[in-house]
Amino acid sequence: MLGFLLLCEVVYTQHEIKPLTLHCKINVIDMNISILVLSAPYSSQGAHSAFRYTQAALKSGNKIHRVFFYQDAVHAGSCLATPPQDEFDLYTAWQALKQDYDLDLVICIAAAARRGLINEQEATRHNKLSHNVSEEFELSGLGQLVEACAMSDRIITFGY
Amino acid sequence: MHILLVQQSAPYGSSHAKEALDIALTAATFEQDISILFTGDACYQLMSNQFPEHIDQKNISHMLKALPIYGLEEVLVDEDSLNSRGIVNLTDSPVLKKITKSDIKKIYQSADTVIRL
Repeated sequence: MLGFLLLCEVVYTQHEIKPLTLHCKINVIDMNISILVLSAPYSSQGAHSAFRYTQAALKSGNKIHRVFFYQDAVHAGSCLATPPQDEFDLYTAWQALKQDYDLDLVICIAAAARRGLINEQEATRHNKLSHNVSEEFELSGLGQLVEACAMSDRIITFGY
Repeated sequence: MHILLVQQSAPYGSSHAKEALDIALTAATFEQDISILFTGDACYQLMSNQFPEHIDQKNISHMLKALPIYGLEEVLVDEDSLNSRGIVNLTDSPVLKKITKSDIKKIYQSADTVIRL
């Protein structure tokens, strides 16, 4: 009798849990997220949190439509930054995440240019001696942020 | 798709005000339904009689006047923030509207995307 009761308990519990788990999974996997980063690497924790959030979202099966770097966050795309070896390297972390998940990493071209961040094409156009944007990042306009707002289920902003 | 852009920074101390306005202008150019809400210190952006040329800055209130040209029709300002800062003289704008705390709650609820800068 006790065995039967225990069996009932197990069956009952499984029945209760199963649809719940299934429900959660469907919701999580279907989410299409875009990230807006505003804060500069190393000056604000927001820059680091943006990376950790993006990585966690991807690992849990969500889709990241785009990561848009605006204001001081544009510095994340620098290929010249060299943090000390015993510190977390946020620059190469973004680059590696892009390669692993084919992420769309977009830097606002106007915000970047006025902060001294330009790629080879812009350097030629503005007659500058060198360029400093990693090839994993694309320079583009604010239209990419507006498009991300229209195409994503959520925009998550980091840093202010 | 309704985007709510919340401005919360004073005009010239940081780049937040200008770069937030750039987002609004771009969204309006792409014919997106976008509203701007000014709260807290962002209310200082709306003051008339600004002379930022003395500190080599562009006058942000001129950009605000241009918003209707871009098709941006809803520019809101939190009345409580204006009152607590004693701001009386606002930039002349046909689209600027004062709203209360309870209106703000409704506007947040109706927006699909909120960007705060």
